[in-house]
Amino acid sequence: MSNLFEHNGAEGQGYSQPKPLLPESSISIPPSLVRKNLPRWPRLSEPEMVRHYTWMSKRNFGIDTGFYPLGSCTMKHNPRVNEVIAQIPGIADIHPHQPEHHLQGLLAIYHEMQYMLEVCSGMDQVTLQPVAGAQGEFTAVRCVQEYFRQRGESQRTKVIVPDSAHGTNPASAAMCGFEIVEIPSKDDGRIDLDALRAVADETIAVMMITNPNTLGLFEEEILEASSIVHNVGGQMYYDGANFNAILGITSPGLMGFDAVHFNLHKTFSQPHGGGGPGSGPIGVKQHLAEFLPGPLAMQRAPEADEMENAIDGKWYSWYQPKHSIGKVQQWHGNAGAVIRCWAYYRRYGRGLKTMSEHAVLNANYLRHAIHKATKEAGVDSMLTDGAEAVVAKHEFTLSLAPAKESHGISAMDVAKGLLDRGYMAPTVYFPLVVPECMMVEPTETESKDTLDTFAKHFAEVLQVDAETLHAAPITTPVRRVDEVYAARNLCLRHPYDDE
Amino acid sequence: MVDQLPNLGREAEMLSAMGMKSIDELFADIPAEVRMDEPLPLPPPQSEEEIISDARRLLGSNVALGERVSFLGAGLYRNYVPAAVFQLVTRGEFLTAYTPYQPEVSQGMLQAMWEFQTLISELVGLPIANLSLYDGSTAAAEALTCCVRVHNRKATQKDTVYVSELTPPDRLSVMQNYCQGAEIEIKMLRHTDDGRLDLTSVEAASGSCGVYIEQPNPLGILDGGITELKSILGENTALIVAVQPVSLGLVEAPGHYGADIVVGEGQPLGSPITAGGPIYGIFACSKPYLRLMPGRIVGRSIDVDGKVAYCLTLSTREQHIRRHRATSNICTNETLIALMGAMHMSLLGPEGLEALAVRNLAASTLAKEKLREIDGIKIPHADSHHFNEFVIELPGSTDECLSYLDGVGVVGGFNLSAWYPERTNWLLVTCTDQTTVKEIHTLTTELENWVHTLEVSA
Repeated sequence: MSNLFEHNGAEGQGYSQPKPLLPESSISIPPSLVRKNLPRWPRLSEPEMVRHYTWMSKRNFGIDTGFYPLGSCTMKHNPRVNEVIAQIPGIADIHPHQPEHHLQGLLAIYHEMQYMLEVCSGMDQVTLQPVAGAQGEFTAVRCVQEYFRQRGESQRTKVIVPDSAHGTNPASAAMCGFEIVEIPSKDDGRIDLDALRAVADETIAVMMITNPNTLGLFEEEILEASSIVHNVGGQMYYDGANFNAILGITSPGLMGFDAVHFNLHKTFSQPHGGGGPGSGPIGVKQHLAEFLPGPLAMQRAPEADEMENAIDGKWYSWYQPKHSIGKVQQWHGNAGAVIRCWAYYRRYGRGLKTMSEHAVLNANYLRHAIHKATKEAGVDSMLTDGAEAVVAKHEFTLSLAPAKESHGISAMDVAKGLLDRGYMAPTVYFPLVVPECMMVEPTETESKDTLDTFAKHFAEVLQVDAETLHAAPITTPVRRVDEVYAARNLCLRHPYDDE
Repeated sequence: MVDQLPNLGREAEMLSAMGMKSIDELFADIPAEVRMDEPLPLPPPQSEEEIISDARRLLGSNVALGERVSFLGAGLYRNYVPAAVFQLVTRGEFLTAYTPYQPEVSQGMLQAMWEFQTLISELVGLPIANLSLYDGSTAAAEALTCCVRVHNRKATQKDTVYVSELTPPDRLSVMQNYCQGAEIEIKMLRHTDDGRLDLTSVEAASGSCGVYIEQPNPLGILDGGITELKSILGENTALIVAVQPVSLGLVEAPGHYGADIVVGEGQPLGSPITAGGPIYGIFACSKPYLRLMPGRIVGRSIDVDGKVAYCLTLSTREQHIRRHRATSNICTNETLIALMGAMHMSLLGPEGLEALAVRNLAASTLAKEKLREIDGIKIPHADSHHFNEFVIELPGSTDECLSYLDGVGVVGGFNLSAWYPERTNWLLVTCTDQTTVKEIHTLTTELENWVHTLEVSA
């Protein structure tokens, strides 16, 4: 058990560098700025460094390690060819400030990705600049804000979010300066139209909602919700966190939305990397397009002197929307993520609908399998559906409230029991509207066998006595971590000997 | 797509177990009015081989800077990233994990990020670092909103921050987008003709919530006067310094001359430039900012057996708990790229960082010496110190110069008229550890040739 700073091997460096182009005596910096002490970084040889990080990787769980049914996060398999493509110098070693004729390939892929996301979402214009879902939310709400400012509707100071929304929704809208109006969901987890009508007036700028919602249920009354908001002059915003369920089946455009963000790292398999990077493009209807952050990729016929560099007879260039809100990231977004997601979408092309169908098939099958397995094991009284529904979409919720009441077994206990059986746990305690909630999203890349085995193990966990389960996990690199201790005894960096 | 869908061909079996006959039944809850009638207007599915072939063709048509003689930087820097970094970061256990909500099975990434926090903390001389924001611009923007949260109550200039007038417009635009919601006013700090901060303009910023400067600044200048800033500003105005992290192998850590928050583009440590993303933003601060800062933080704790264990901490600042009262909306960040940074830093070690900084500075010093010898080319800030980039003033338009150089296979640098429209003949020339004597010679020769073409046409 050691950390990087306790390694004390080679005095040398992990890799040797060539000599500088001038001797050190020929270079200088202002005397007041000369660094007195170098950072107390470790001194490792390459073998020590490689072993340290390999050791740590073995103490981490990824999709490659096992089933990762983390609801709302769409933890699907990340095809390895995408990593190979992202290392091609034509993406890894290009600079956004290079002239357009150096970047025709990048522009072509950006243009194709804008188009693909537009047709899948029913929006008129997409920008690839936002680098994460939350940043996409922020960007879209900013665009709507400028739209209303330009129309002189500055009285629109409020944004509606359902109480089941992701925390990023209210946080993003608040960062734009909006007041948040939270509306309750109905008992079945769906939007309460009466509650929406009660708050819908001319002070509303935007309603933010995801569909399927965070319980994995399709909002069947979405058109009515859109029309309530539109009737008071507000805009409808679609949180694309759950987009994996609907490609080729329906679209935010058809549901009446004006703006949408995509989580490319969810739907299109940019690896989640332990917390990032992501990519959060947004799409909007025409009336909002002039406010988007640029640059956007556009296509035209090449001029005579451009023929040589043209791609498939087309020339690509950047352009800035007329009343752009400006930038939300300094460069052109997470281009490396966009390229990986382009490679992913190309695998499916017009077959993206099959991808969504399998995501929904797997989720419903797993829900069914869990109920079946718990019934066979006689523990079906310990859980209920988070919300009643004939079918779920790409994810579903379970409530462990009965287990808590009858056996003192919480959702967290079950989660830890699943860790011991070699799984990542589902999302727990979200959405907040379901007591003792577990939110399960298998994705389309899990086999039936994996789902069957997981269901069996899930039922097994529920048969374990409470005391044993409170002590879980026992097979993991560490056992339950004391988060209260961490917060009370803050240790946010290596404590050096003299500290 | 067959290779991605393990249950293709097993649909009937799975549906039948659920008492269903067709996939359509799974979508019975989607009203007809919102159904897509037509198939998606997209190309047919491709195999892996076809995709990689298309990727090579399209991306191969881009001009990778490694194929040219390149002096383009301006915020993104092409340092060598050791091979071990790429080999290790693509281990599936790191690559395909997500946010460590279950710490018992996420100790590897949690520890790696806690170590990253320590590496950054030591690098910049401040006790606290988060585990990355999106990029340098968003880190700068979040620093501005953070300092207002901390200092506004006592500030005499309420809701006001000051930013160097040299800040590149794209970065400033990000700051404006992040600040406008909280109605924060961004005022400008002036610079003198030699490219250094005008200290009298800094006096005017005292009593505001914070001051943002870059070091080296966007003209590549290391400004010896900035060590005076904190004493001018006083305790109640945050000094925010954006750094090029490699420079800190030679340049004093900002935390040691009074910076309260240090931000920056982490990219030069650990990451290729990748068209500007994904890269990672550094955010470090002193204790008064801890509970109002953005982003995730890892703390060292213990498990039930008393064993050392790591977990996310201070989460009550964050959106998933605090919702609209969160310090930031950030959720997904740039952890994997920060991990690449940590790996590069651990291979460098302290002396390796210094050597890397020396190589950057030596290359730019040599380039500056060579270019100033060209008749007709001036160095506007010749009396100032630079780190790895500097401005040259051309005898003609920068646009035309860059076109000429492009024609002979040289990416000459960054046209500063994009940032400062009146500077139509300024070129920002950048060197890195990859710059060679031969490349500097090529740039010098071709610039001489270009100057000569001007003389001939005159």
